[in-house]
Amino acid sequence: MQGNKKDLHLEKLKGGLKDDDREMIDVFFTRLSENIDLPILSKGLLTRHFIDGFEYYLEEGKSVPQICELLDVGNLGSFYSGTQRRNYSLDNAAIVYPLGMKYGQMPMFRLSAELKEEVEPVLLQLALDFTIKRFPSFSAVIKNGFFWHYLEGVNTVFLAEEEKDIPCKPISIVLRSYRSFRVLYYRKRISVEFFHVLTDGSGGMTFLKTLIGEYLRLKGKKIPVSQGVLDINEEVKEDELVNEFKNAKGDALLSTFVDKRSLQIDGKLGRAHISRIVHYEMDAKALNDIARSYNGTMTAYITALLFLAAKECIKKKEGIFNIQIPVNMRKFNGSVTLRNYSMYFNASKEISQITDKRELVKEIDAQIKEKGSEKMMNQMMMTTGKLINSLSFVPLFLKVPVMQSVYGYLGNSIIGMTLSNLGKIDLPEEMAEEIERMYFVMPPGRPNRATSTLATVNGICVFTLIRNSKDDRYERVLLRLLEEDGLNVDLEGSIEYES
Amino acid sequence: MNPKIIYPIPERLGSFYKTLRSIARILFIAAALICFLVNYLTKGKFWSIIVAWSLFSLWRLVFSLRLVEFSIYSHANKVTFYIVVLLILIDRFLSSGWAETVIPIVLFADLLVMFVLFFALYDRKDRHLISVVLLGLFNLVSIPYSIHSWPIENWIAFSFQIASMALFIVMLLANRKELVYEIKARFATNTK
Repeated sequence: MQGNKKDLHLEKLKGGLKDDDREMIDVFFTRLSENIDLPILSKGLLTRHFIDGFEYYLEEGKSVPQICELLDVGNLGSFYSGTQRRNYSLDNAAIVYPLGMKYGQMPMFRLSAELKEEVEPVLLQLALDFTIKRFPSFSAVIKNGFFWHYLEGVNTVFLAEEEKDIPCKPISIVLRSYRSFRVLYYRKRISVEFFHVLTDGSGGMTFLKTLIGEYLRLKGKKIPVSQGVLDINEEVKEDELVNEFKNAKGDALLSTFVDKRSLQIDGKLGRAHISRIVHYEMDAKALNDIARSYNGTMTAYITALLFLAAKECIKKKEGIFNIQIPVNMRKFNGSVTLRNYSMYFNASKEISQITDKRELVKEIDAQIKEKGSEKMMNQMMMTTGKLINSLSFVPLFLKVPVMQSVYGYLGNSIIGMTLSNLGKIDLPEEMAEEIERMYFVMPPGRPNRATSTLATVNGICVFTLIRNSKDDRYERVLLRLLEEDGLNVDLEGSIEYES
Repeated sequence: MNPKIIYPIPERLGSFYKTLRSIARILFIAAALICFLVNYLTKGKFWSIIVAWSLFSLWRLVFSLRLVEFSIYSHANKVTFYIVVLLILIDRFLSSGWAETVIPIVLFADLLVMFVLFFALYDRKDRHLISVVLLGLFNLVSIPYSIHSWPIENWIAFSFQIASMALFIVMLLANRKELVYEIKARFATNTK
């Protein structure tokens, strides 16, 4: 049935073409068929992507030889024809995510790039079909081991879908049980949402850049393989799949792991995982200049504003407010791993002592330098490693219920919110010309009411606040604080999902 | 504060399933408690345990699906487990003397269906192998339960168990390479 439908589309495609072109198309699709060893439905689906690609390019006026070159079957590699299986043990950061997972709560994050032109879905789909083989640890699903969860690589067709829902919605396990990330498009935006077990922001960004690079190649642009854009046809490097946590050096200190319970921003928790997203778009240079005028970095300045806003939005007059700041460990040793390789620390401040902005920026800057140092982060990695090793032989069916009951209390209760800064995202010049801006969305875990992210590209810094409560005071206070310092802020975002 | 809206407006803001789940949780707990109370007040057989288990089973099978590795095979295993426990409870608390015959039949029927599905979707066997193995082991566990009365009193149960074992062995032999691979993966300890 699927085969007949496919043949019909193929015949329709060839209609009106010259004999040479028809023959070339036949050869192309025969070669394609030889390269796909998937269940019949998946094979039909993948073939359909190529038929759509031909149709698109023919309408664009491209010749058949040009199309065959652009859609070269060699770009698929052996991903859809190989039956090789590979498993990946979860890295030390990812290991906790499936343990603490409950219904409707899945640790997801999204990376988005806003292009200058509307996204062409047919080409995005083909770009995904070509790119995925370069990221074998992403084409994987989580499975239950006897002691730990693990990832099992799957060779299947991944779909680029139109965005219709609230961002970072947990991946449906019933209908789509065999994927751990999704690629979405909406108008000019391409987004990738990852289940956090696969990777962190940095690894995810490499995937997004490579996907966009391939998409732009299919659009006829020449994108060099540099600045995080990988060559989709080169061999997968083992260094990209390594669990770097196992190479940590230093002493393990439990004190790096525990903290006091944090105050939470006021407001009733929303029922959905996100109540609203607001992007505060600013000129990166202006923001950096302001931060420097306070003798701090951009991260320290924004963190200080988050503390100041928190003070106005928390009724309690005493208590600690903690802001979790992830640290990309790659900056210390130049690792190229695409797995999770981030640690974090808490910037802390007694709420009653949050007063002067200048002093606060200075203090936060000092905390970032001290707590986020390589030595401290290594100590934390060692502690994590030791904890995991000590639990290695405890069966999973005992770990899961214990972790589900304590995860929220240990994990998220010691923080009030998170600030994740992707920093300045480097892009090849040819790609930067095609991209307006990039941003990062990460839903807050319960009982946190908000998380925030920063991403800078092409001189535009997007500070994003993701709220999970019905009270919008926090985002209004933040806007006021930014404008008080003379920053011009453009606001973009979502509707109130739970008004 | 009115940001420019750059995200699509979802077709459905609320989740029907989520709402149903919240209502079901309250109703199920209330129903179980009422049944225990009525059972306690009216005395007689302990029928409320069967109601409570049935409600719990419904909750686990419909409203509390597995978050990792959900498949029709793993779900079938779960259904079988809850049914078998229910049969044992009925046998123990309402009318006894038939469960040791019926349970092996239920297990065998389930194993047979799983086998048909498994071999029908053989190109995806690696995804489901372990679920079929678990059901096979579940069948084996039930053997001692009825073997004490073999061969005269419970020959029906025993014949079904022998048939299950035969099916199980065939499946193991046919997939021994995949099975070794699966076992190695499942028992990894993450220590290296």
